[in-house]
Amino acid sequence: MKRRARTLLRRLSWRRRLGTIGAFLALAAIGGFVYAWAGLAPISARSGHWSATAWFLHFAMRQGVETRAAVSVAKPEDVDVADPALALRGAPHFAGGCAPCHGAPGQARSAIARAMTPQPPRLESRIPDWSDEELFWIVQNGIKFSAMPAWPAEHREDEVWSMVAFLRRLPGMTPAEWSRLAGLEEAAPAPVREAALAPGGPEAPGGGTRLRRLVDPPIGEILAESCVRCHGADGLGRGEGAFPKLAGQKEAYLHASLRAYARDARQSGFMRPVAVGLTDAQMRGLAEYYAGLPAGPAGAPVSDAGARALGERVATIGVPERGVPACASCHGPETSPWYPLISGQDERYLALQLEAWRDGDRGGTVFAQVMRMAAERLTDAEIAAVSAWYAAQGAPMRR
Amino acid sequence: MAAPPDDTLAALLGESSVLAPAGRSAAAIAELSWWLFGGATLIWLVVIGLSIYAAYFGPRAHDEAKVRLLVVGGGAVIPTLVLAGVLAWGLWLMPQVKPPLPQGAVEIEVEGLQWWWRARYRAETGETAVPVANELALPVGRPAVLRLTSPDVIHSFWVPALAGKMDMIPGRETVIVLEPTRTGVFRGACAEYCGASHALMSFAVLVMEPAAWEAWLARQAAPAEPPASAAAQRGMAVFTEYGCGACHAIRGTEADGDVGPDLTHVGSRRTLAAGALPNTPDDYVRWISDVHEVKPDANMPPFGMLPEGDLAALALYLDGLT
Repeated sequence: MKRRARTLLRRLSWRRRLGTIGAFLALAAIGGFVYAWAGLAPISARSGHWSATAWFLHFAMRQGVETRAAVSVAKPEDVDVADPALALRGAPHFAGGCAPCHGAPGQARSAIARAMTPQPPRLESRIPDWSDEELFWIVQNGIKFSAMPAWPAEHREDEVWSMVAFLRRLPGMTPAEWSRLAGLEEAAPAPVREAALAPGGPEAPGGGTRLRRLVDPPIGEILAESCVRCHGADGLGRGEGAFPKLAGQKEAYLHASLRAYARDARQSGFMRPVAVGLTDAQMRGLAEYYAGLPAGPAGAPVSDAGARALGERVATIGVPERGVPACASCHGPETSPWYPLISGQDERYLALQLEAWRDGDRGGTVFAQVMRMAAERLTDAEIAAVSAWYAAQGAPMRR
Repeated sequence: MAAPPDDTLAALLGESSVLAPAGRSAAAIAELSWWLFGGATLIWLVVIGLSIYAAYFGPRAHDEAKVRLLVVGGGAVIPTLVLAGVLAWGLWLMPQVKPPLPQGAVEIEVEGLQWWWRARYRAETGETAVPVANELALPVGRPAVLRLTSPDVIHSFWVPALAGKMDMIPGRETVIVLEPTRTGVFRGACAEYCGASHALMSFAVLVMEPAAWEAWLARQAAPAEPPASAAAQRGMAVFTEYGCGACHAIRGTEADGDVGPDLTHVGSRRTLAAGALPNTPDDYVRWISDVHEVKPDANMPPFGMLPEGDLAALALYLDGLT
C-alpha cells in the first residue's frame, strides 16, 4: 500500500507534469501552424468578427491606446485644441484623408470602407470617449490590423494636434459648417473672385473661371480638389491664420518645395499625400499659378514697441554676437529664386517654421541646411518678435 | 631629400618654434628654457654617474658623516636651491613676459571663436577700427598690446616664436604684449582644446618693417575694390544673391554681416578658414562647397548645391579681394 502511494506520487512529480504540459503546448503550436499552413484561418473581410473576438480586439486596442497615450503623449503648452485656427488647419486634410473611410457631416462613409473588417466607425459619437492625448496617439501612430494608418510625417506633431482640434469640433458639426471648414467651396466658380484674381485680365473663352482655364499645364483639377482648400484660390491662405500664403511667392521656391514634400525631404502629413501624386509639369504649373497671384496685405502692426524693435533687429541685423545672421540678407526680392519671401506671411506659420528649423525638425529644398544653421540659436522671444515683425511687413516689390 | 614646396600650409603659416624666438618675451622664455635644459642635463649626468659608481665601484664602507652629508645635501639642499633659483628666475622674468602696457604700442582687440580669429586694429588717428580675420601683421621693434576675449568657449592665444600662451576666457579680457624682434611669418594657434576643429584654428603673424606695416594696415582699412573681370562680377552677384553678406562683411559693398570673418581683403591672406586650406580659387570652391569635410562642425553652412559656374565665379571674386 505504502509502496503504491509512493509510486503514484513519483508519477505526479513536477517534472512529469511539466513534461506533459510542454508536450501539449508543442502539439498545440504544431496544430496552429498546420491550421494556418493549410489555409484554414478565417481571413475573409466579408464575415466580420465573432462578437467575442470583436470584444477582445476592441478591449486590447482601447487598453493599448490608453496605456501608450498616458506614457508617451504630452500636450505642448502652446497647443490649445479649442483654437478655431487649429481646427481649421485640420479640416481640409480630414476631407481628403479621413472622410472617405470615416464619413463627415452630411457625407456617408464610402461603400468600399463599409465593406472593411473592422469597419471604420463614424467618428462623431466616438470622439467624446477619448482624451486629447489618446486621440493624438491614434492619429499619430495608427492602429495595426485596422487599416488606420500612422501619420505620414513622423516629426509633424503640430499637424497631428490640429487634427485633434478638428476632431474635438466634429461632434454636432452641421454639413454647412463642415463644408466651410474643409474648404469645399473654395474652388466654386465665383465671378467676384474671378474679378479679384485677374483685374483687367483676359476673359476665359466661354466665360469660365480662371481655375478652369488652367488646362495647360493640367492643374485645374488639382487646384480645385487640393490646393485651394487650404491655400485658397487667391493664394492668401483663406485669411484666417491657419495656412501659409503662397500668392506672389517666388516660383522656383514653390516648385522646389513641392519636390521636397514629395521626396519627404520636407515633412508634412498634409502636403506629402498631395505632392507625391504630382508630375513635375504639374508642380511647375502650380508654382507658376501661385507665384503669379498678387500678394496680400500686410498683417497688423506689432503693438509692443520692445517686440517690434527686437523683431526688426533680428530681421535686418541679426544677433551677430550669438551667430544669428540677418533674415533680410537672404529673404528678399533680389536674392536667390530658391530663397522664399517671408514679408506679409502669416505670423503663426512663420513662428511654427522657425521653431521647427531651430529644433532640427524642418527639412526643405537643397538649401535647407543654410536655414537650419541660421535658426539654430534663435530664442523663443526672438522667434516670436521676428515672426510678428515680418507678418506686419507689406509684400516686397518683385523684380 | 627635396625641401617641401613653399605653398604647403606649414610654410604658409610660418615659423612656430619656441627655440627660434622672434619676440622679446619669447627670447626670455627660450633663454630660461636653455638654462633649464642645460641644468637638467648636468643633474642627470651627476645622478647617473652616482648610480654607476654605486653599482660598479662599491661596495666599500663609507664614512657615515660624509654619506649623511651627501644624502641631505644632494637630496634636499641642492634641489631646494636649484628649484628656488629657477623660481626666482621665473618670477624675475614675469614682468618681462607680461610687462606693464607700453606707451605707443599697436593696439589690437583679438577674439577667439570656434574656430577662427577676429581682430580689430584700434585706430591711431581717430579713424574707425580696422577689422581683419585669421591673419595679423605687426611692425618689427614696436610692442603690440593684444586684448583677448572669447564669446563662446575658452581658447588660448599662442604664437610660439613671439611669446608665451594667454588664455581667452568668455566674460573677461586678458592681455598679451608681443614685441617682435625680427621680420618673418610666424604661426599662431589655439592652445586650449575648444571643440571639434580646435586643431584647425591657426593664423599667421606677419612681422614687417614699420613702413611696410603701415602700408599693410592702410590696405586692410581700405574698402574692397570692385571686381575687375566679368566672371568676378558674376561672383559678386552670387555673393549677394545667396545671402553670404548675412554673415560676412565686404566693406565697400552691401555685405555687412558680423557673424563670420570680414572678407574685404580675404584674397590677400596666406590661408583660408583659419589655416585650414591654402588660398587659391580651387581652395575657395572646396571650402564653400564642402565646409564640414574641411572643418568639422564649423558654423558655416556648405553651399555645394550652388551651380558649378556660380561657385567658380564666387571663388574668383573672393580670390581677387586682395
